[in-house]
Amino acid sequence: MRGGAARAGRGFLLPGLLFLFAIDLVPLLYSAWVSLYNWWLLRPRDVRFVGFGNYAGLAADPEAWRAVVVTSLFTAGAVVVEFLAGLGLALLFAQPFRFLRPIRVLLLLPLFVVPVVGATMWRVIFHPEVGVLNYYLAQLGLGKPAWLSDPTLALVSITMVDAWRTIPFMFLVLYAGLEVLPAELFEAAAVDGASRWQSFRHVTVPLLAYIMLVALLIRGMDAFREFDIIFVLTGGGPGTATQTIQMLNYRVFGLGHMGMANAIGVVTLALVAAMCLVLWRAVLPPRREAAPERP
Amino acid sequence: MKPTRLRAVLTATVLVPVLAWTLFPIYWIAAASFKTELALYARPPRWVFTPILDNYQRVLYNIPFFQYLTNSLVIAVGTTVGSLVLGTLAGYGFARFRFRGSSTVRFLVLVTRMAPRMVLVVPYYLLMQKLGLLDTYTGLLIAYVSFALPFTIWLLIGFFVDVPLEVEEAAMIDGCGRLGVLLRVVIPIAAPGLVVAAIFAFLVSWNEFLFALILSGVEAKTLPVVIAGFSTDVGPLYGEMSAAAVMVMLPNIVMTLVLQRYLVRGLTLGAVKG
Repeated sequence: MRGGAARAGRGFLLPGLLFLFAIDLVPLLYSAWVSLYNWWLLRPRDVRFVGFGNYAGLAADPEAWRAVVVTSLFTAGAVVVEFLAGLGLALLFAQPFRFLRPIRVLLLLPLFVVPVVGATMWRVIFHPEVGVLNYYLAQLGLGKPAWLSDPTLALVSITMVDAWRTIPFMFLVLYAGLEVLPAELFEAAAVDGASRWQSFRHVTVPLLAYIMLVALLIRGMDAFREFDIIFVLTGGGPGTATQTIQMLNYRVFGLGHMGMANAIGVVTLALVAAMCLVLWRAVLPPRREAAPERP
Repeated sequence: MKPTRLRAVLTATVLVPVLAWTLFPIYWIAAASFKTELALYARPPRWVFTPILDNYQRVLYNIPFFQYLTNSLVIAVGTTVGSLVLGTLAGYGFARFRFRGSSTVRFLVLVTRMAPRMVLVVPYYLLMQKLGLLDTYTGLLIAYVSFALPFTIWLLIGFFVDVPLEVEEAAMIDGCGRLGVLLRVVIPIAAPGLVVAAIFAFLVSWNEFLFALILSGVEAKTLPVVIAGFSTDVGPLYGEMSAAAVMVMLPNIVMTLVLQRYLVRGLTLGAVKG
């Protein structure tokens, strides 16, 4: 490339990059700083430096550990359900059938519905007395489950709603991955007498492994930070049954305990950064050997 | 391979329940928005009813719906413009200029998307309070542009790389500067990409809930916050809530149906391209 190219490139890149890193980095650094203080929103004159006191308080708080457990259960449950359902649908769509395109569009709709609205729909459906779900369950003699107010069931319910919303994402990503697999490999496997299962296990899975991993990690991080759905459906309740780390952070923020709220944020960020690092390791190597980049 | 009859039946047995599960909630809330109070609570649930518009009327006149709609629209349009301007420049920069560590920087851009919003919103709230920007369009706008920008950049890189270099070189020989080439040659060719990016940015802002919940009070309150406010109790405002929910998701559904081909490409791009 010609001489002034580097400078021209910088001119194009800098505005966006500066904006992005300023808007993300400044609050995060500020957050790390505030997390070292005993800082209540309603007592602005009584701000004291406490070092890692908030972090120590967090580590000693059973509610925080409970939130870690809830977050892990929700994330793992949601990702596994969504992955299996998405993979199943992708495999189904890999063999053409009639009306494939319109059906595919319809299946994608939940992904584009405003999250708060999607959760609201389910809240209405789940309603123990007025809800349509319990009416028909009762007709079938299955009783009236308290979908959102039973501690165990509530976690299952929010996982279901999250699955409703994001199975389409898993489906899309895995389907796009399947579409670019070379057909010759499957033909060769068939010629060699491989069964359906064998060709899936030994051809599809290894070739799709990379995309599967990326999809799992992206979804894992998204589920980990889910807020809207839980807020609308249960608000973290009943009690602390669905109080994920994000919901706990929101509640502590609502109490006005800024030092602690920021400490929770910093811990969350460290956890997400660890997941990001795994993703980076997973994503970078294949790109280095990639030929000229084409979308 | 020609699909056999058995396969078609099997496919349908899987797809019908999946479609029902996917579409029923959307149908049910849409139906509820046209029901009378009586039909809403009827046992057994009413599948056939005479549609009425009372719920819409009440939402539009009893709460300042138009003000919230204006808030949502102004912020969403502002987000779209802001992320398109910054995203076009950066996307073109990444597509046409290679420098040391450029793929790392490009990945870091995507990483900023990963920061949980709850982590960002707490310090952001304190900073906006200091700047006097709580409950303003500007406060939300800045945040939303930073949410939409990483994706905009990644999406546009893909579209800009597709623009043939020869066309750009020809324009440069004709005396166009780099910016002129971008404005007069590249953007017209990559226009579909810009439309997709615009829609994504619009939806990021339109859908956002957490920042709106925490940063906006009365003045800058957006529609998702209004919807969530309804749903604290399914009881008395069920019909109005449904009507408001339908109006809020309508733009999303329309945009999805109209631009599904591009949306599919946009969504899978990050993951599949790697």
